[in-house]
Amino acid sequence: MQQRLDRWAERAARAIARRTSRRGFLSTFGSALTGAALLPLLPVMRGAVAAAAEPDARQSDANSCEYWKYCAIDGFLCGCCGGSSSTCPPGTQQSPITWIGTCHNPGDGRDYIVSYNDCCGKTSCGSCFCNRNEGERPMYRLSLNNDINWCLANENPNYHCSVSVILGVAGK
Amino acid sequence: MWPKALGAGLALLTVVAATAATPPPPLPAEHLDVARLPPPSPHWIWAFDESINNETDTRLYLYDGDAHRQLGQIDGGYWPGFATSPDHKTTAIATTYLSRGSHGTRTDVIEFTDNSTLALSGEIVVPAKRAQTLPTLYNLTYSADAHLLYLTNLTPAASVTVVDVAKRSVVGEVDTDGCVLAIPSAARRISALCESGRLLTVTLDDAGHEASRKLSTPFFNVDKDPIFVQGIPTATGVMFLSFLGDVYDVDLTAAEPKFAPVWSTTTAAERGRWRPGGDQVGALHQQRSRLYVPVHRGADGSHKVGGSEIWVFDATSHQRVGRWPVDVKKYGSVVAVQVSQDGAPLLFVATENPSLLIMDAMTGRVLHVEPKMGQSLWYLMNP
Repeated sequence: MQQRLDRWAERAARAIARRTSRRGFLSTFGSALTGAALLPLLPVMRGAVAAAAEPDARQSDANSCEYWKYCAIDGFLCGCCGGSSSTCPPGTQQSPITWIGTCHNPGDGRDYIVSYNDCCGKTSCGSCFCNRNEGERPMYRLSLNNDINWCLANENPNYHCSVSVILGVAGK
Repeated sequence: MWPKALGAGLALLTVVAATAATPPPPLPAEHLDVARLPPPSPHWIWAFDESINNETDTRLYLYDGDAHRQLGQIDGGYWPGFATSPDHKTTAIATTYLSRGSHGTRTDVIEFTDNSTLALSGEIVVPAKRAQTLPTLYNLTYSADAHLLYLTNLTPAASVTVVDVAKRSVVGEVDTDGCVLAIPSAARRISALCESGRLLTVTLDDAGHEASRKLSTPFFNVDKDPIFVQGIPTATGVMFLSFLGDVYDVDLTAAEPKFAPVWSTTTAAERGRWRPGGDQVGALHQQRSRLYVPVHRGADGSHKVGGSEIWVFDATSHQRVGRWPVDVKKYGSVVAVQVSQDGAPLLFVATENPSLLIMDAMTGRVLHVEPKMGQSLWYLMNP
């Protein structure tokens, strides 16, 4: 099992490397590993571009699907479920496995590395469903896929909602 | 004229009053019973409802495309895989339950339903590692001889649990080395899609244990134009559509897969502008070689956007033979399609709002619309 997880993590890291420059990869992966202490156990790069949307919703409304941090999210927004764009709702558990995306913030013109985590342990929140798939890929590219239940490794695999947590500015 | 009309009106009132005074005979007493299914029809369809707002309670609705009514339901539990047995008598559902509903001990199980009664007929508890993912026809599959079931696992390590159907027991597990799905062929073969764009084919022995494996050459470009995992069964194997609308026809009749020349559902002018999309991106009438694809105008990243039109192709000549717009404002975009396999085929179309449209598969004429069916119809399966 550990070997398989290692192989999977290696593929995830390679996916990051393929999609970024070496310096960018190191800074990105470093950020991700730093963030891992608090957030993701196995960060996975998720390439993404900002969607064409009205600037206001993209910048100011964290419960809008058009909000810039949600460029590759597929699920219920935790901000509508008792949490926020970066906190899981009370009584849930964050997924130890997650993926990382790059989203463009129109407010400051920067690209940010964000970590998408699922919040688990309760049934579907059912509010603010958001499905954006820029850079998303099918299940055979697991590190880029948002169709699987990322709560699958949790003791309670129920999917509740998703968050998008800033890890840092993306390297050029 | 007026007095005459007045007289006729008074006479009518008299009759009405007399009728009101004599109530009709009472309705007969009813006998509570459980409905029995009529004989099966190729025009039945299983419509999978992900129950998006409460995903621990998914369902498969059985719907009659001729009578235009729901015939029954199978409960699907949490993010299930599903398969119909080769003799069509059984539906298998692979799902996950927690002992106290939303929490508690996890049990993964394959449940069998008798398709003649829709009653549960048995179950097999399997290792708690099955893939909880969006539906395809290859998350759970039967071997051609119906002796084995193959269940896709993802922990996130990828593997396949092999189950002996008759013995109601788990035979073992095949490590698929990161490749996903369990596409069956011959008596004892399964193929899985790999991140490298290859197909891994594992041959099992009679007992269901791995005998050999082989990786194909890459047959699609994972980076430039990935294929949807929602493969479409063909007479000889499986067909995949790519994000840009190319068609990959894979012949699985021999020990090694054969890949037909790739063809496209779009013209050069349409390529990249019109794309397949949704949850079930194609259906094939095998005998008539008719391929149905929901398409939309969109860019990269729009591969889950439902279709505003259904394009119909002759899968042999690769010619488009139909272009059927859908009233998206009224029904929502098309997220799933399936076609019955009989001589007078129906095209079943699930939309995002969600409705189930029944169309004449040869003309595109809408024969019936079942509005607001469940919460989220994401897949359609022939019984």
